Amino acid sequence: MKKILKTFIVVLVSVTISFAQGFKVKASGEKTFNFEDKYGRNQLTFFSTTPLEDITGVSNSIKGKVTFNVADIKTLKGSISMPVASLKTGIDLRDEHMRSENWMDAENYPDIIFLIKSVSNVITEADNKISAKLTGDFTTHGVTKEIVVPITLTYLDESEQTKKRAPGDLLGVQASFNITLSDYDIDNMVIGQKMADDIEIRVNIVGSSAM
Amino acid sequence: MNKKQKYVIVAALALIAIALVVWVANGGEILSKDGVWIEQPLSDLDKALGQQPKLDFTEQFILGLFPHTAVFVSAVVFVSAILFFILKTKKIQEPK
Repeated sequence: MKKILKTFIVVLVSVTISFAQGFKVKASGEKTFNFEDKYGRNQLTFFSTTPLEDITGVSNSIKGKVTFNVADIKTLKGSISMPVASLKTGIDLRDEHMRSENWMDAENYPDIIFLIKSVSNVITEADNKISAKLTGDFTTHGVTKEIVVPITLTYLDESEQTKKRAPGDLLGVQASFNITLSDYDIDNMVIGQKMADDIEIRVNIVGSSAM
Repeated sequence: MNKKQKYVIVAALALIAIALVVWVANGGEILSKDGVWIEQPLSDLDKALGQQPKLDFTEQFILGLFPHTAVFVSAVVFVSAILFFILKTKKIQEPK
């Protein structure tokens, strides 16, 4: 009986491991990556397109940590955030409007936050590259909505090349998704419909396991 | 309309046309801008990390329709209207 139970457990563990999709890299076990970069090299970009004007804005003040088992990306948990005040569109007056009470209300809602809840649709593109869909809570302007974000993750073990950027293993995250401002009680009418209701957001960030 | 008034109208229309051509040549933006977002070239490490080009703000004046072109066109219209009025032929009343 003990033998059968032992065999069952071994088979179960083997099946679980074989179905787990993760990075096939030198690193193993659970890793935590910090995305805070004092040099401001991480970037979130948003694009708004209206008949009147196209607006591009960026923030280089991304913060956050994610933790996962290198062999199983579905264990990924964590959050990414960004201060509203760090958004720049290239026009100071417009940035002020954006931060104002009538729009993003940076004083009362200082951060935009994405809290990761689950990972699905995992596709291994290479030993160190995985694409997947993250489901999580996106919070801005005090409103939280569940959204699905397609992402691409690239894992690099620490090397002489990666040390030039940061110590430890590096995790590159690239994501692109859309949000609807009215879903978050942000009224684009306030600024004369110069901003589209549907905003495209692109995230290009790199986290280090040693920070 | 006398000959001088015709010159004023032609000159005004020419200036407005030039302003609009310059505005279109600057990209036909609605609002004037003080800079543009330029994509930065990726390093080999960034490429290896699957990153997309990042945007950097570079100071560069871009002439927009508002306010610069609109102000110039309004000024041309205003000045030419004054000139048009000043240059009108004065009717000399003949003694009865």
